Amino acid sequence: MSMGVAREQARPATDVVVTTALAAARPKPSTFGQWWILTTRLVAPTLRNGEVLFAVIASVVFTAGWFIPLNHIMGATSGMSSYAQYLMPLIALQGIAFASVTGALRAATDSVKGVNRRFQSMPIGPLTPLAARMSAGVHRCVVGTAAALVSGHVIGFRFYRDLEYTVGFCVLLLLIGVVLSFLADLLGTNSKNPEATTQWLLLPQLIFGLLSVGIQPVERFPGWTQPIVRNQPISQFVYALRALAGDTTSAAGSVTWSVVGPSLAWLVGAMAIMVPLSVIVLRRRT
Amino acid sequence: MSVADEQTKPGSAVLRDEAFPIVDRRFGENSPRALGPHTWLQTQRLLIRLVRDPMTFFFGLVFPIFFLVVVDIVLGDTISSVTGHNALYGSVPMVTLIGAMNGATVGAVGIITERSDGLLARLWVVPVHRASGLLARINAEAVRVVINSFFLLCVGLLLGLRFEQGVLASLAWLCVPVVFGVAFASLVLTVALYWPSTTLVDAIVTLNSLVLFFCTGFVPLDQYPQWIQPVVEHQPLSSAIEAMRGLSLGGPVLGPALGTLLWSGGIAVACVIPMVLGYRRASMRG
Repeated sequence: MSMGVAREQARPATDVVVTTALAAARPKPSTFGQWWILTTRLVAPTLRNGEVLFAVIASVVFTAGWFIPLNHIMGATSGMSSYAQYLMPLIALQGIAFASVTGALRAATDSVKGVNRRFQSMPIGPLTPLAARMSAGVHRCVVGTAAALVSGHVIGFRFYRDLEYTVGFCVLLLLIGVVLSFLADLLGTNSKNPEATTQWLLLPQLIFGLLSVGIQPVERFPGWTQPIVRNQPISQFVYALRALAGDTTSAAGSVTWSVVGPSLAWLVGAMAIMVPLSVIVLRRRT
Repeated sequence: MSVADEQTKPGSAVLRDEAFPIVDRRFGENSPRALGPHTWLQTQRLLIRLVRDPMTFFFGLVFPIFFLVVVDIVLGDTISSVTGHNALYGSVPMVTLIGAMNGATVGAVGIITERSDGLLARLWVVPVHRASGLLARINAEAVRVVINSFFLLCVGLLLGLRFEQGVLASLAWLCVPVVFGVAFASLVLTVALYWPSTTLVDAIVTLNSLVLFFCTGFVPLDQYPQWIQPVVEHQPLSSAIEAMRGLSLGGPVLGPALGTLLWSGGIAVACVIPMVLGYRRASMRG
């Protein structure tokens, strides 16, 4: 830059305007302001384009879809006060997963249409667009959590522990949502096909949800699948959320590190892999 | 009016009228004799697109296969002990139909992108039979569903599904998803013509999950609460599943088969006029 300016100044007369423009102090945009504008850009249309609506509908569909058919056939095996109490963690997880993966669609659309490339050429911090997308993800997750809690309440789910555990339930759910949003964002940014990304993320969750302890106790699965079922992340999340919600019986388990720890470990581990990956992706010129 | 009538510069590509390829116009573009070849050509084009799109393979086959295996692991024993029959007689038809329905999203996304890319408008101004575009799409969907269902049937046979009713019944078994799949695909196509939004894909997945949770292939009818049983019993997926169960295991076929035909025919009749009008509109507005 400075060399270019020097050369411009060496030339006589004609380029004076250009030279002064280059020499003028560049504006210093506020990063916070940029983040806020980019966030509202993502959040504002969600009411109109159906994102919020679908987060709510998905929660209701998953609640009704797991609870109504399975209540009778599975209810007796759960060992808890009601099947709703048993099923709630899975319903909440599915709802929040749906809410977070729709972010992949936005990330992929931005990537394909060249919005990211445009941002790279503007005086915006490299992490600001990502931060804005994550904030929009948190917004969707809050909507998803609220929808899941309301649907859960309708089928008979209740919090049986103190307020701090209830808060813990919501925070853990939100954390899972944020990590999933991050994953969805990473996959979406690298996707060439915006329409497909949501399904790539969503349908596997249906399969893993079915193959988890959210539906029935691990002892009822065939022997060879039990290690997978018990240790896969959704099951661990279900154990932790179930303990945090509590129950009138003791079947929910107690809130100890051995119950909640694996969930946190999964979340931290996932972030430990995704953050460096995301930095690599962000530094790559598109 | 021809290029050669005017003064053409030496070195331009077309110097004389004869240099143009001779167009074979034995019949007009909308002649019934052109319909066959034009439809076949466009069907080939769409099938090549389908084969090259990994989404087709994933949503039509990989996801249903995984889902089938997992449903068999999780619910298989419970359902078999309730009904006395292998749960596969319900779950294989269910995933075959869901595979056919999920695959329809590929066609929807295809027509949305071809509309925005201007391909539909381009085809509208060249001498192509007006009806061939839509017919080719429906043909391609039918071929896709046949191949899909055949592979899923093979997986079912590997898992332990058996045809007790002979070869003719097994061929009829294969026809059920084709009839319903084509009707559903035309519904999706119609909606995609009027609502060209990426949210459509989410809507289809949500709708598919809903009908999947509330069909007799997932859990036997009597396990659902009393108030919802009429809905579950008469929804299109349940009719198709019961017809297919009758054709493989044995039992009533006529009633459910009539139900499937009524649903499919109803959907097709309801869609045909909006679909033709919508296709014309989408082609003419680009």
